[in-house]
Amino acid sequence: MNTIITRIADFLKEYSPFDHLTFAELSEIAANIRVVNLEKNKTLFQYNDVLHDSFYVVASGVIHLSVIADAEETILNKCHEGAIFGLRPFFAKNNYRMTAKAREESVVYAIPIAVFRPFVANNTEVLNYLLENFATNTPSSTDNENSRSSQISDSLFYTDKQSEMQYFQTLSYNNTPLITTANSIVSEVAQLMAEMRITSAVICDASLPIGIVTDMDMSSKIATGRFPITASVDKIMSSPVITVLENVSLAEAQLLMLKNNVTHLCVTLDGTNKSNVKGVISEHDLIVAQASNPGVLIKEIKRAQNAKELKQIRVRLTDLIQTSIYKNIPLTHISNITSEINFALLKRAIELSILEMGSPPARFAWLSIGSQGRKEQLLLTDQDSILVFEDVATEKYREVKDYFLNLGKKTTLTLQEIGYELCPNGHMASNMSWCKSLTDWIKQYDNWMNTPGESNNNLSSVFFDYELVFGEQKIEDAINNVVFKNANNNTLFFDFLGNDALRKNSPLSFFKKLILEETGPNKDKFDIKTRALMPLIDGARLFTLSHGIKGINNTYTRFKQLAIEDPKYSEIYLNCAEAFLTLSKLRTVEGLKNENTGQFINLEELSKIDKEKLKNALAPMRELEELIKNKFQLTQFS
Amino acid sequence: MLDWLKYINKVYPEFWRTYLAKFDKKSNRYVVVSTERTGLNLDKDVILTISAFAVVDDSILIGDSFETILLQYKYLHDNKLSNGFIIESKMTKLGEADAIKSFIEFIGNSVLVGHQIDFDVEMINAALEKLECGRLKNEALDIDMMHRKLNEITDKEFTLEQLSEIYKIPQNDRKSSTEDAYKTALLFLKLKSRLGIK
Repeated sequence: MNTIITRIADFLKEYSPFDHLTFAELSEIAANIRVVNLEKNKTLFQYNDVLHDSFYVVASGVIHLSVIADAEETILNKCHEGAIFGLRPFFAKNNYRMTAKAREESVVYAIPIAVFRPFVANNTEVLNYLLENFATNTPSSTDNENSRSSQISDSLFYTDKQSEMQYFQTLSYNNTPLITTANSIVSEVAQLMAEMRITSAVICDASLPIGIVTDMDMSSKIATGRFPITASVDKIMSSPVITVLENVSLAEAQLLMLKNNVTHLCVTLDGTNKSNVKGVISEHDLIVAQASNPGVLIKEIKRAQNAKELKQIRVRLTDLIQTSIYKNIPLTHISNITSEINFALLKRAIELSILEMGSPPARFAWLSIGSQGRKEQLLLTDQDSILVFEDVATEKYREVKDYFLNLGKKTTLTLQEIGYELCPNGHMASNMSWCKSLTDWIKQYDNWMNTPGESNNNLSSVFFDYELVFGEQKIEDAINNVVFKNANNNTLFFDFLGNDALRKNSPLSFFKKLILEETGPNKDKFDIKTRALMPLIDGARLFTLSHGIKGINNTYTRFKQLAIEDPKYSEIYLNCAEAFLTLSKLRTVEGLKNENTGQFINLEELSKIDKEKLKNALAPMRELEELIKNKFQLTQFS
Repeated sequence: MLDWLKYINKVYPEFWRTYLAKFDKKSNRYVVVSTERTGLNLDKDVILTISAFAVVDDSILIGDSFETILLQYKYLHDNKLSNGFIIESKMTKLGEADAIKSFIEFIGNSVLVGHQIDFDVEMINAALEKLECGRLKNEALDIDMMHRKLNEITDKEFTLEQLSEIYKIPQNDRKSSTEDAYKTALLFLKLKSRLGIK
């Protein structure tokens, strides 16, 4: 037997549904496989293409399945190694309903349907698996994303649409509403509502909704005595009733309620008031739906027992971010939610280490620094952290430091497993230099701020964006005090930071063209992180420190706050704030698309509008630069 | 110059005549070949294994493949080499004559593809000569050349390992001509689409 057949059979055996088949069966399948190489961005099949005679298994690379609706490409699924797709020919005769495109250079195995069909017929588990998969790969109506299967398996990446993004889930609502007729008596209807514990009743005429009575109507029209309790219900009902389609999203429902100033929506068969009533959505349903989502993630994080579970949650968080970005939810909201969840993840990772190692011998604070500290980490970028523990007696110092170093190591490894890369510069609590006692840290900050650049002792500006993740608030306060005490009128320090901020490479050439990478693996891409985002981040940090603004670490809010504190230049600050959001969004979209940190943007893939947006967002940087130059006489280091 | 006169009255074996007849038509099938040889000397060395995969329509057909171990007992005995691997192997085993014959039947008029394919072709030609046949008539493509052409490199040769690394083909520690043929086939697909060969 051919050795390659054996190898392919070995590969398939690892993944569902092939794990239900014997090795001999797999070999038979493998012997009939075609191996197809897809160049980056090559389309395997397109929406409305005639069905192929085979389905596909990804051998290496990533294939994106997408649909194009309203001229917008929506990614349904990203297929990684071992994932199967293109199952349509098994179950349907009409053309493909989606597009399969290689996101990177990929190799796929094409398994002929004719060869595989007998195995499906003889093996119910295989059949069920394929049916489930077919369902997940099938685009249903766009609003209905939640109804897709939510099965998570280790080998397959599922875009888990199980109500991740609060605003775009369909609502669960009361689908057995109280229906009465126009001539019912108010007191009877009220009695029924009380019995059924619901807040509304729909009034129908020949099973078509003509009005609705709610708790509101009862209290404002009956309890006030404007109508007698014996009046017929059509006297007090609100009419016409606002009707919606079954699969209305939360956002739509909310908008409709606000627009029409009502508290209840009536769900009908076709969304108009000329069809049968299917249910009622109340304001309460909206609240329930909103409460469930990121909250659920946080709850799950708190219960998670190991890194693997946390990793699953982080994957779902990525989906949440992705859905929200595609649905144009404001980036500030997304990053707020994300940072809360990120912090919960970090916290849990530390807790897990502590559970394993026993309680700490001294009080301590785990501070996130860098992008995590600024609460701007939307993508899985690297982790940066420091650990500060309280001062202990000299004889105990060694032991205590050992414990915390160990804690740092364990936790950073857990985080790495979750998907946060280790910091390439070693800015982590597992590093000897960044896991120190409070006195040492205070000395460190004193040193950095009073003699910057002198000893060049690893001063990195990321150390000035810190946020407490776990431990004693008092320790963070102590560090805060040192920083702001030292910052006060410290020209030397600001000089250093200012120069540092200006040293970043400029994004535009003399002719206002974007400067692209000239060499390396990211040739011809735009380095949005160092060329566009870092100068804004550095600028914001510099100004907040010099204005003595405490407790605000987020670049966007820093600029907003600066606009208030320094009204003379408020326009510049506000422009920078907006620019920062635009750039972050571009980066996040790029990162989600490629599943990396999004540092390098491929301009060729950018739409014309996005390119303009990018260029416009770079404009405020120049003003900010000028402002830095004016404000701090940058002479000492330049 | 008048070489053909020498052969004009020569009667080729049956399989060779069938092979020659196939060249009336042009083929859209590629055959990726890799052989394992005892060395590079055309007269003394022999082929140990031949592996090949067919490539049609930009895809490798795993089923349409050729994998044979040649029973070179005489050579191995003469050179005091172990023949253990032949006994252990589960591959199809044929004597040199039969193996070459079935290989010729397998390739037909397809375009041959390989890594430094010249050596393979010459080795097979040498074996064909022993069977009183002519030389291979197939067109041949070399993936090393293709890579160099793509990148306009003229002064350097690349090993199969280097090419695999450049095009990110997963390495496998098992080494055999079949593995090599499969790797070469993947490289061929990648190079083919980059060079825009139909």
